[in-house]
Amino acid sequence: MTDGVLLESVHLKKSFDDLEVLRDINVKVQSGEVVCIIGPSGSGKSTFLRCINQLETPTGGQVLYKGQDMCEKGADIRAFREKVGMVFQRFNLFPMKTVLANVTMAPVLTKHKSREEAEELGMELLRKVGLESKAKAKPAMLSGGQQQRVAIARALAMEPEALLFDEPTSALDPELVGEVLNVMRDLARDGMTMVVVTHEMAFARDVADRVIFMADGYIVEQGTPEEVFGNPREERTRAFLSRFREG
Amino acid sequence: MSAELIQSFVPMLLRGLRVTMQIAVTGILLGFVLGSLSGYALQSKNKVARTIANVYVWIIRGTPIVVQALYVYFVVPALITLVRGSRYTMASTLAGTIVITLNAGAFISSIVKGALESIDIGQKEAGRALGLTETQILWHIVIPPAFKSMIPALFNQFIISVKDTALLSMISVNEITRQTQNYVSRTYNTIPAYTICALFYLLLLSILMVLQKVVESRIQKS
Repeated sequence: MTDGVLLESVHLKKSFDDLEVLRDINVKVQSGEVVCIIGPSGSGKSTFLRCINQLETPTGGQVLYKGQDMCEKGADIRAFREKVGMVFQRFNLFPMKTVLANVTMAPVLTKHKSREEAEELGMELLRKVGLESKAKAKPAMLSGGQQQRVAIARALAMEPEALLFDEPTSALDPELVGEVLNVMRDLARDGMTMVVVTHEMAFARDVADRVIFMADGYIVEQGTPEEVFGNPREERTRAFLSRFREG
Repeated sequence: MSAELIQSFVPMLLRGLRVTMQIAVTGILLGFVLGSLSGYALQSKNKVARTIANVYVWIIRGTPIVVQALYVYFVVPALITLVRGSRYTMASTLAGTIVITLNAGAFISSIVKGALESIDIGQKEAGRALGLTETQILWHIVIPPAFKSMIPALFNQFIISVKDTALLSMISVNEITRQTQNYVSRTYNTIPAYTICALFYLLLLSILMVLQKVVESRIQKS
């Protein structure tokens, strides 16, 4: 087995009809590592994330979880998804359920936890994201930032080994971004393995162990935040980052 | 005359009301079951199921209810008689219930299809990402909000079904309209009988409409 590699994509490809979105993506994610993926819109970042947990079926290549290919026929994708959670750009909370029920639903259904057990864990997680007081509220009563924190707690309730974040702050008003990023910082500090697609360059610089710059379905370059932000090797990376500095 | 009217016609109307409501309620409940299956099939990826559901909706929408009633009441028993070789007849109430069920089911399947499709794909993806099975996603994530959004349209269909039962007078189901016809053919009290019949329907449906408003405002609040 591979040394501490939790997730790996090997020559991953994805096309939608004639449109090639991912051309050849090779990424290794170590256990406990925080990987941030940056790049222009349409570069395939989100598609890559969605191919990892098989919300999109890759057209070619492999997604390895602890060395096992999840693209293979007969792979237990459901069990894999229990271990690798996801946080969406638009939160995707279940609108008719309370905040606590959003968090407890999956553990009760898939891990056959008792209600009490799930609720105890749920409250602990809501405390962690600072929303203990909102346990009985419906998602529509919360701000975007609060909803996203609930979505993070919901993903954590499965006690995953890794979390995928698909532009978790892109749908938020600017003043609400910070509270979500702070929760994510805490998670990173606790040693959670995270793959984060983001446009928050400051977050990527501070929190990431590794930054990947993607464009046109390729990985253009990757390295430590110091390398990618401080001294990018590729012209495309420099052009992309310069737009952020201006803005 | 008016005492006679009240004494003999009103009990007939009330008996008719019972038959009308029995058929309408049974029809909407069975129609909901049928419509849910058919509506689910309409939006599923299974081509065979989708085709069957489409043909069903097409036939019901493409033929008048009266013709359907005549067909179920006269033709279906005749066909069964031919196949069995012994005489088979169908009670008119049963035939009427079948027709109302088939009609409600066809229109409810469109309602169900629309409601299932209206659920944001993101919520299903969230369920998938949490490791739920497709069946769990359907029952715990898709159906609760879909059902809630369907309630006004279902109630509407119920009101339509109640009115549709009047057409069953054609196959001698003793609902409100048929009872009125029976009374008129016996007494020739044409003007008062049909006027009372119309007012009786108006009262019944007004009550249902008020109930509909109450239910809708309850849903909006919850």
